[in-house]
Amino acid sequence: MTFGVFSSVTLLFDFWDVHSPAGMVLSVLLVLLLALFYEVLKVWRVWLSGSQLAVRAPACTPPPSVHSESASMLEGSPETSLAPVELHTSGPNSWLLHVIQTALHVLQVVLGYMLMLCVMSYNTWIFLGVVLGSVLGYFLSFPLLDQMQSFRLV
Amino acid sequence: MDHMNHTPLQAEPTPNHHHTHVQPTTAHNHGGGDSGGGHMGMAMTFNLNYLNVPLLFEGLLINSPGEMVAACIGVFLLAALYEGLKIGREVLLRRSQVNVRYNSMPVPGADGTVLMETHKTVGQRMLSSAHFLQTLLHIIQVVISYFLMLIFMTYNGYLCIAVAAGAGMGYFLFSWRKAVVVDITEHCH
Repeated sequence: MTFGVFSSVTLLFDFWDVHSPAGMVLSVLLVLLLALFYEVLKVWRVWLSGSQLAVRAPACTPPPSVHSESASMLEGSPETSLAPVELHTSGPNSWLLHVIQTALHVLQVVLGYMLMLCVMSYNTWIFLGVVLGSVLGYFLSFPLLDQMQSFRLV
Repeated sequence: MDHMNHTPLQAEPTPNHHHTHVQPTTAHNHGGGDSGGGHMGMAMTFNLNYLNVPLLFEGLLINSPGEMVAACIGVFLLAALYEGLKIGREVLLRRSQVNVRYNSMPVPGADGTVLMETHKTVGQRMLSSAHFLQTLLHIIQVVISYFLMLIFMTYNGYLCIAVAAGAGMGYFLFSWRKAVVVDITEHCH
């Protein structure tokens, strides 16, 4: 079991049999897209948990003055801000968001294991597909997350 | 040792043995057929066997539907525990950091307003009980995560579903509180 440049591989399922170069190209593309989707999914979940907070944003007390704003951000004293936020956790909206988050988490776990198994085929092309997909996904989606968050906060 | 003939092969996988599995035709023969017959050392594609499925240790060989159900429940609980452990560690870390933050003191500002001067020490001391606890929990977490990975690597459909379902259940139960805590520190201003 070492890495090699084979043109035939069986990935995950019996029916995913690859013998031809064309099939290999297609498989690598598919694996690349899976890895890309995995990275996007991670960012999407972070963004979702951000919007979860946007729902509860009115519960936060605004800073008393401009001067103490930076200090209160650093401080974030738990006792004072914990109480008002917790009041809003029982809403139906946040419950739905939590269910969605759970479903996405399961999807992420399964997808992560699938990608691991793909890498474990010890096929160099598939491995490169996974790595390239991760790189592309991270490269594309992380700036997107930053933009989305700054858009929402402003 | 009343295993089937093929089981000794899984103990020391020769390169030749694995090569036959990669070959499409033999892999098809192994995966298809009766759903109960797991007559190979290591599956290379997803299957729904419940006979002769090795699980992590030598003594843990699943050989009946009942044993498979028991293994699935065990794996489910392990995966749920793993999620709980991850979130629990985060909560513990945050709590120990909150303690550090209490050191900050109010300082009168230039124009009468009160400023909070924070001496924020991020991270913990190396020789503290909290850090030792974190280290211990980290070891447990790493071991469990490797076990879960190895369980998924059996390519057994039931066990994989149990891992995924356990992760979902654990996340659903434990992250409810985490969602609350995260909000405060990150964005409330």
